[in-house]
Amino acid sequence: MLVDMYSKKVFNMAYQFSGSYQEAEDLTQDIFFKLYHQLGKYDFEKNFTAWLLTLVKNYLIDMYRKTKWEKRQRDDFDKHLHSVSAVDNPESGLTEGENKKILWEGLNQLSSDIRMAIVLKEIQGKKYEEVAEILGLPVGTVKSRINRGRLQLAKILHHKKEKIHGL
Amino acid sequence: MVCDKIQNLLSPYVDGELTPEAKADVEAHLLSCRECAELLSLLKLATASLADFPEVEPSSDLKAKLYAIPARQKKFRFSLDFLVKPALQPVFATVTVLLIIFSFYMFGPYKKDIDKSVDRQIHRGYSQLEKLYAKAGSVTDSLGAAADNILVSLKKINPLGKNEE
Repeated sequence: MLVDMYSKKVFNMAYQFSGSYQEAEDLTQDIFFKLYHQLGKYDFEKNFTAWLLTLVKNYLIDMYRKTKWEKRQRDDFDKHLHSVSAVDNPESGLTEGENKKILWEGLNQLSSDIRMAIVLKEIQGKKYEEVAEILGLPVGTVKSRINRGRLQLAKILHHKKEKIHGL
Repeated sequence: MVCDKIQNLLSPYVDGELTPEAKADVEAHLLSCRECAELLSLLKLATASLADFPEVEPSSDLKAKLYAIPARQKKFRFSLDFLVKPALQPVFATVTVLLIIFSFYMFGPYKKDIDKSVDRQIHRGYSQLEKLYAKAGSVTDSLGAAADNILVSLKKINPLGKNEE
């Protein structure tokens, strides 16, 4: 039941955060193992999805601090997220697929806290309040992290564009 | 400096969260600064692209492993249940008491005295054993002598009444 309802959500969060399909599979297993252990601690008055995602976030950040995935490369964007289109983008001078690829790799340049906020807000499309609940932070702090993350990613795109036009 | 300040307002500007005055400041700056204007369009592009990342389907192999976790946990819990069975409680209590006594012996101030008295007791026991062994030897000797005497006496009595000569 839990697997049917939440495995995709947990796996995608782990994949978007870590950038490695294999790593995400291992992490998802660890998280579900932990989830079954901690189910007894769940407060039924709370939102289960938010509680679960908080557990996922804590585990991912802990593992990130222990193993430092940033040293490793993320999987190729096309390998599993195959939605590359050849449409030119006038803002960046790159195709849509190339933009996504740069952003996918650029996620590794963000600190773990900012990356987690960006994954939840931008990729998973959650509201600021939901992100704040999952991260256990005030909405203002979340907005500040999203702001920094967006700016960093925009600057990464800018540098890439300059590099391409410079060649 | 102005660009830094404006760039920090780009995200709330995109979210429509600026006050009318701040919004007007940003828009005025964007008209005159090509770099900030470009950054804004790239920021918008980044948020739109990230929102368009597709979700990935977890493999069936992973799902099978996830379904198997409760069974694995049950197995694990069974082994723990076995350990906390009431029948084992006296054993654990005894082991605990022994460990406490052992720790008193190991880390207490009387370790040397205890060692000495244990040594003394062992020596005493050993010497008593030796004495017992010696006594047992003398008893065997006297028993042998008694047996010889009985045999000699029997020969002298001559129960069949025959004359040896």
